[in-house]
Amino acid sequence: MESMSNSGTQTAAAVFFDRVARRILAQHAPPNLRGVTILLPNNHVAQPLAQALGAASKITLLLPQMVTLSDWAQSVVLDASINTDSQRSALLYQQLRKQKWFEQADLWGMTQELLALFDELTHSLTALPDNAKAFAAAVQQAYQARQNTTLQLESRLVFELWFAMHAGNELDAARAYQQRLAKLAAQAHQPLFVLRTSDWNALEQRFLDEYAEHALVEVFDLRAMEIQSGTPRFFAATSLEQEARAAAMQVRLWLQAGKRDIAIVAQDRVAARRTRALLERAEVLVADETGWTFATLSVSTVLDRWLTALQSDFYHHDLLDLLKSPFIFADMPSSERKAAVYQLEQLLRKQGVVAGLEKFSVLVEHEVVLHQPLARLRQAAALLEQGKRKTLTAWLDALRESLNVLGIDSGLQQDDAGQQLLRALEVWQQELASDQGLYRYTEWRRWLAQQLDMQNYLDNSIDSPVRFTHLAATRWRAFDAVLLLGCDANHLPSVADGGRWFNDAVRSSLNLPTRSSHAARQRDDLLALLTLNDCVLVTWQKEQDGEARLLSPFLQMLRDEHELAHGDDLAGKPATPTPTLPRGERGQTNRSANFSLDERELHAYLAAEEAHTVGLPQSAQPAPGVANEIVPASVSISAYNSLVACPYQFYARHILRLNELDEVQEDIEKRDYGERVHDILHRFHERYPLVSEHPVDELEPALRQISEQVFADLLAVDFAARAWLARWYQSLPAYLEWQKENEAQGWRYTESESAFDWELEGVRLRGRIDRLDVNGVEKRVLDYKTQSDQVLRNKLIEPGEDVQLACYAYAHEAADAAFVSIESGKVKLVAPKQDVPQLAQLNAERLEQVMGRIRKGAGLPANGIDQVCAYCEVRGVCRKGEWT
Amino acid sequence: MTNHIALDPKRSIVVEACAGSGKTWLLVSRIARLLLEGAQPSQILAITFTRKAAQEMQARLQLWLRDLAMKDDDFVRQFFAERGIANLSDAQLQRARSLYSNVLLAQPGITISTFHGWFMQVMQRAPMTADVMQGSSLLERAGSEQDEAWEELLEQMRKQPDGIEAQHMQWLFGECGLFNTRKLLFNFIGKRAEWWAYTQGQADVLNFALDNLRTDLEVDMEFDPVADWGICGNSEEVLFAFLRQLASNGTDVQKTKASELERAWTDAVPETRFGKMLPLLYTQAGEPRSFKPTKKQDAEAFLLTRNVLFDNLQAVRDALAEQQAYRLNEVVLHCGVAFLERYQALKQQKQQMDFSDLEWQLCHLLQQSEHAETMQYKLDSCYRHVLLDEFQDTNPLQWQTLRAWFDAAVAVDSQPTVFIVGDPKQSIYRFRRADARLFGVARDYLKEHFAAHELRNNHTWRNAPAVLDAVNAVFADHPEGFVDFAPHTAEHTGLPGYVAVLPLAITPPLPFAGEGRGEGEELHLRDPLTTPRAEAEEGARQKEAAQFADMLQTITSEWSVMEKGKERRARYGDIMVLVRSRTHLATYEEALRARHIPFLSSRRGGLLDTLEAEDVQALLMFLITPFADLALAQVLRTPIFACSDEDLIQIAGARNKVQEASGENQLVSCPLPLAPESWWQRLQHLAEPTPALQHATELLQRWLALANKLPVHDLLDRIYFEGDVLARYSAVLPIEMRAKVKANLHAFMEIALSVDSGRYPSLPRFLQELRELRYSKDDAPDEGKLGVAGDAVRIYTVHESKGLEAHIVWLLDANAEKKNKEGNDVLLDWPTHEQRPSHFSLYADQASRGKKRAPLFEQDAAQQAREEMNLLYVAMTRAQQALIVSGNSKGEDKEEKKKSPSWYDRIAAVVEQHKTSNPFALSLSKGEGSGDSIQASTSSARTVCIPPILPTGKRTARNSLQQQRGIWLHALLQHLTDYFPLPIAGEGLGERGRELQQRLAIPSAEMEPLWQQAQHLFASPQLVRFFDAQQYRSACNEMPYVNASGELKRIDRLVEFDDEVWVLDYKLGDSEDAARYRAQMQEYRAAMQAVYAGKRVRCALLFAGGVLSEI
Ligand code: SF4
Repeated sequence: MESMSNSGTQTAAAVFFDRVARRILAQHAPPNLRGVTILLPNNHVAQPLAQALGAASKITLLLPQMVTLSDWAQSVVLDASINTDSQRSALLYQQLRKQKWFEQADLWGMTQELLALFDELTHSLTALPDNAKAFAAAVQQAYQARQNTTLQLESRLVFELWFAMHAGNELDAARAYQQRLAKLAAQAHQPLFVLRTSDWNALEQRFLDEYAEHALVEVFDLRAMEIQSGTPRFFAATSLEQEARAAAMQVRLWLQAGKRDIAIVAQDRVAARRTRALLERAEVLVADETGWTFATLSVSTVLDRWLTALQSDFYHHDLLDLLKSPFIFADMPSSERKAAVYQLEQLLRKQGVVAGLEKFSVLVEHEVVLHQPLARLRQAAALLEQGKRKTLTAWLDALRESLNVLGIDSGLQQDDAGQQLLRALEVWQQELASDQGLYRYTEWRRWLAQQLDMQNYLDNSIDSPVRFTHLAATRWRAFDAVLLLGCDANHLPSVADGGRWFNDAVRSSLNLPTRSSHAARQRDDLLALLTLNDCVLVTWQKEQDGEARLLSPFLQMLRDEHELAHGDDLAGKPATPTPTLPRGERGQTNRSANFSLDERELHAYLAAEEAHTVGLPQSAQPAPGVANEIVPASVSISAYNSLVACPYQFYARHILRLNELDEVQEDIEKRDYGERVHDILHRFHERYPLVSEHPVDELEPALRQISEQVFADLLAVDFAARAWLARWYQSLPAYLEWQKENEAQGWRYTESESAFDWELEGVRLRGRIDRLDVNGVEKRVLDYKTQSDQVLRNKLIEPGEDVQLACYAYAHEAADAAFVSIESGKVKLVAPKQDVPQLAQLNAERLEQVMGRIRKGAGLPANGIDQVCAYCEVRGVCRKGEWT
Repeated sequence: MTNHIALDPKRSIVVEACAGSGKTWLLVSRIARLLLEGAQPSQILAITFTRKAAQEMQARLQLWLRDLAMKDDDFVRQFFAERGIANLSDAQLQRARSLYSNVLLAQPGITISTFHGWFMQVMQRAPMTADVMQGSSLLERAGSEQDEAWEELLEQMRKQPDGIEAQHMQWLFGECGLFNTRKLLFNFIGKRAEWWAYTQGQADVLNFALDNLRTDLEVDMEFDPVADWGICGNSEEVLFAFLRQLASNGTDVQKTKASELERAWTDAVPETRFGKMLPLLYTQAGEPRSFKPTKKQDAEAFLLTRNVLFDNLQAVRDALAEQQAYRLNEVVLHCGVAFLERYQALKQQKQQMDFSDLEWQLCHLLQQSEHAETMQYKLDSCYRHVLLDEFQDTNPLQWQTLRAWFDAAVAVDSQPTVFIVGDPKQSIYRFRRADARLFGVARDYLKEHFAAHELRNNHTWRNAPAVLDAVNAVFADHPEGFVDFAPHTAEHTGLPGYVAVLPLAITPPLPFAGEGRGEGEELHLRDPLTTPRAEAEEGARQKEAAQFADMLQTITSEWSVMEKGKERRARYGDIMVLVRSRTHLATYEEALRARHIPFLSSRRGGLLDTLEAEDVQALLMFLITPFADLALAQVLRTPIFACSDEDLIQIAGARNKVQEASGENQLVSCPLPLAPESWWQRLQHLAEPTPALQHATELLQRWLALANKLPVHDLLDRIYFEGDVLARYSAVLPIEMRAKVKANLHAFMEIALSVDSGRYPSLPRFLQELRELRYSKDDAPDEGKLGVAGDAVRIYTVHESKGLEAHIVWLLDANAEKKNKEGNDVLLDWPTHEQRPSHFSLYADQASRGKKRAPLFEQDAAQQAREEMNLLYVAMTRAQQALIVSGNSKGEDKEEKKKSPSWYDRIAAVVEQHKTSNPFALSLSKGEGSGDSIQASTSSARTVCIPPILPTGKRTARNSLQQQRGIWLHALLQHLTDYFPLPIAGEGLGERGRELQQRLAIPSAEMEPLWQQAQHLFASPQLVRFFDAQQYRSACNEMPYVNASGELKRIDRLVEFDDEVWVLDYKLGDSEDAARYRAQMQEYRAAMQAVYAGKRVRCALLFAGGVLSEI
């Protein structure tokens, strides 16, 4: 792709730098240029400018002072002390809290918005009226509103808070900046050259004006330098994945072509993340000038989980999540830490402990390795008592201390981001040391969350020719190649949240930045970027989640202008020398046929990448045969049922012995209910084998009493248990009724919950029956079910598909067998239609037969019906769905 | 229709337009006209119902404006001629050309949004004084918050079981059971916006609602109807009169009945007496038993006494039912209000609000005129033109909000023009609380207050005449209240069309099943190893599915369709399959799969249930719980490792060996994090693993080490890459599934990028979130979208098909009976012109509804029935050329019992009818036009080589503490020398020191010694001249220069004296190393000599310890 490795890349930029350099040299004689100051949009520009100066003069030069405005301002010493942002927001927060104005609102968020507004007001330099009333009137006028008390109230509020915040002698960062610039301007004595691409804010502009009163100022504004932006190339992707892959591929191609300074301007953070991962696959590390907020880093996660676990009284998910962080207990060897966590997890899964540090402590009583970690958790938890109100610093102190106890501190020390996080905590501790406000635990947590959302982490450890940056940071910079990522209309221009306070009309009357000034700046920066850089690829998603997206209006216009220039000579515009214009493209229509040349080329690369295949056999329905040794010698009733429903399921569950992990159960389930009902009836009949001997008004209370006993533990922990108990009570009279009828027919309860283990030919059959009744010499096995009789009848429709009753009958040599359906206030017997002894015999024979064949190596096919598969936990193992 | 009226920018317009009539065209055209007329982009507000539709409008507008800017004058004139301006003036022409850039760059631009999007925007400007949740973010998954509130509520009740709510809840549990109780209360919460609207302004909402209800039900809870009936002397008389009728000359049955009744009456307790009599007189279903006079009886007297008795009893039963209904409401509302409070508090605590909060709060806000006016001012945009699309889907709150907005606009003198377009026939969102009647209400309102014009359009650009004939025939006689239907006309009169109703698939007569077996037949059990069980669904539906799949194959091989006037072969992508609900879809999908027909069942929320997504979840699960054997087994069996069952058996069998070998020393020799019997342990210690197992072990070990260290997305990326996941899945899958599975794997990756915007990422949390997402009704992620290239049959529910069209539409399972409305819900009456509902109550089931609310239930049922017809209308009108209808039935007898005709019946009836007179079966011409190749080759023929891996960039080693200290000192020196005066010896850290510490990010523990060290240097007699400004002429830190060959260099500190210039270079290391720096210093010297021609240039290294070594 020779067209990409444009050897003249630097030339576009070099022309401009050369012009600047010559102009400066013309004003100021070499070799010592120390007497000149050049204001740069960013520090990266120093190098090319220095080189341009060197090239233009061809002798050794002491270079001028080249600084950014903010760095320069920083060098000015002020007498007054400066309130940090953290101090300021604590102060304002307390103000708001005291006024109880916004009780429903997120006060920290509100604080942040207000402070941002105050800073803008400071920067705007508009002389605010000196009383609230006048201010309100001015605002009202800007709204073009009639008398409106709400609007007045709001502007008064802003004014008064603003006033209160500025009452003291202390400065804030914005005001300090203002004073520093004023000082700088007042002391101006050196000529000043300025490089820029877009508008400055009012404060900075005034600085320039004032400076100009004392010394020479010359501005090099790219917008005024007859710029001619080049045409970028475009890649319209149909998905996030495609965009990221195209971006990564392009970067690799550039690297291959020898480009050594590649910028990725990431308008869309998600696409940037994805692209970075894809580049790392290709062993391309990416330096990052943009950074990530701490809230997105895993070093902050451990903090968040620790505080969340505290708040949820160590809800097991939170606890395990905390303990699985690589940053906790950093003083333990990681394998030991993991071993301990897994052990705890297995225990709590088995015992079903939901939350409560004390409960966990009891749980691990016999697990020595877990004693110490839990003790440390207790110790750390004691440091952060949630009931108290403390100062922010006190909370932070406690937090730091707890991190120490948990070995998180040393864990974080070993990580670059972790170090920066600790450092940030320390800074806040110091800055807020004098703040006296008291905060509840939750208030403080919200504060911390906001801080972590705002604080940025910059990874400086990567040194790479490929870097992420943002649009504003590209001012006056030239790269070998630039990738503009995520340039759909939603991301470029990006919309600054104007906030709830004033609308743009008011903002512009107060000289505050507005949506359009924000957009205009981005547009200027973009055009400047395209002026200084020839090799640019724009990527965007023309489709997202099946919805069409539009290209950024700036780029769309640019594209159209070029198309016009090419299609229409009469306009008199010179045709730009870009050969790969997407000419004749008609917007949305049939894009696929109209890829631009480059786009198609990139597609070809992606297709080539995708074309990679692996040779594997196609998935097929499994029917594994197994060796005799691992076939179980005995089979439970439920295993037999599984074998009938799907042999593969039987294989996975009972031969491979794969089971789902126990889940910590938080709600009572139908299964628990069934078990309790069994238990109740078992106890009841042990006490009252023959109910007809007792009067009903004795039996019912007795049965209820037993029921309550059996439910007691559930009732103690879960209100919903009452609903289950009520469900049983609904059927209770019917049950007694039914039992009496049974007895009237001559059936006698004999035993319940008795286990059997029956030796068949080559296999043992295990199980436990719910109940056995006899009537003279006849036996009948019963199985309680809390399902409707209809469901149970369906179970029995096809003989042999549900083996339970038949096997019970077989084991007890009973001639009768039935389900007892206990549901919705009714109790009904459901028996198989077939002859039970015969059914029993056939089921036993089939089991012997089938197990015998399995022992001989017969395959166990995955042949469950959909109804079975829907609830089958081993679908992922048999892979049903991959094969047909 | 007359476009020049509809598009007249000065008029307000209400358009009722049928399916396919080009509503979007009209709406966007109007925007173009508005702009041409001089409207500013920010003055235009267009609202539609989905984000997708909004996007499409935006795109269409942009495309048109672009054409206006770039094409020739004739085009522009023609464009507006089609849109109601016959002769464009030159000025207008110029203006038309400038619209594109004006609109594109406008800030703020045109607002084209959904109701929710726009509400959110407006809400951000809510006055501070308003009682709304300021600054809340939008809660996207309300489900889990509601569950949480529910848990809290129960926990509260557990702690206070004697509280009034707990008592009520207990009653509900007993009466309705847990499941229905939950349903009642969650449904109540679901209608909270209506509840708020209903009770707004009331101090005691509960009593307000209950008082109203008592009035509505005319119920007196003190009154005991049973006792009353028992006491009343008349009752006995009436009963015995009837008993005498029964006894005299009655049948034996009647006589027994009479004596039973008499016995029942003798019970002294009224309740028991009544309880005993009821089953004798009423069937189980609650219907009166039929007592008919025999020939021997006096029919007239018999019937008279019978009717009097039953009337009396019915009155008692009705009174009881109303009491029961009231009791239920009392209880549910008590609990519901408590539940709602918890839910609201929970959101408040998290600073979140959900859509209902948003709708209600905004509506409420705007109904207060003071606030409404304020917000008119506060928005950046001042809307002069409002356009509303799909208006039939508006719900009452949305309409109230709009109305309030309009009223406020009028109040601040900026009455907008309003353009409404919609089609009540396509209103299918009652479940989202939409009310099609609002269309008429809005129309009347706009006519009255905005002098709006009303237009109708029944001309469609979509359907072929054949399809349209069927539509017209089905709806011609206005079934189920479909009164607003007028016959449609077609634009494309020549378009070939085809409507077919396939014969109903009927269950083949059961061969036998257990019961119907012949006597002598042997009982025989199925052998599961050799004989799969027959699918339970076998039968009618299967038959329909087979018929369906077979015919799809025929269509793609034999049919052609018309596209842009040209004929071409039909393909799978042309076919849209519609079902009413997804319940039975699996059967049909199975049939497609069996025939390898590619299909896209863009099942909403289906992604996480797909096998591939489960695989990835299992893998991630394994990485945080390596003892999860089942997860590991699944992972091994996935194509990522493609292990065989033999491999699994090897691991399973290994246990015995491990256990056998495990004397005590087993545990010692293997201090592993897991219990030794876990599969993962066994896998790692297999004596002879197969290559597949070995491969798996290696990769899993690697990924385990990364889990929780890398963010989830990066971990997944590593897995996809190192596991070669996509290629391996493709390899094992049948061709038609590949694209789909790939798309799903990518979609999964996207979730990893977006879940909770990547905040506080961890693997356990991610998996937890997935679990929640998976089971949440509304928010489960969709399956991956196939690009346009994917040629697959698309399957939608009718609801989802709104706004879509296809050449061929297949209406599947059309004979299904419509669902009965489920119980345990809210009954609501919101007269469309009112600000608030006039009735709000709950009901459990059919039996407990009572009589007084019957009209409301009927009204509800009528609306439901009408919506059924709307659904059918939507379904049929999706078809451009062919409409195929199929259905199944369990058997003949059931057919007769049907209460109302099914969709199938309705269409079949008209297709039959017309068959003779006007045959629809215009078969599309077959076979021709098949040569045209669909797949335009997208990639250039030229083959490309993927660039080789070029390792790029490196991680710099971290500085040692020693190095870091040197760097800090260096920085400190520089900063301090920029200050005047220098710190004096012994000066404490102080304000300045601390500020520097902050700025240079020096840890506090480090600062003190560094500070000391700096002071030490400044104070050293040998060095003081370089730092004390009194002693030199000028000095400069970090002094940059370019040398003659253009290289950029930097000097740490340059100090200029009267006669000499010193170049100082700070060094961290030992002073011994001085010699190494000679060359560098020479370079400095030479350069400076060139600048300071008259002075002596001296160079020195300054070491951290304070040694100055001149070179
Ligand atoms: S998913 Fe179905 S086929 Fe697979 S093992 Fe389970 S029951 Fe058998």
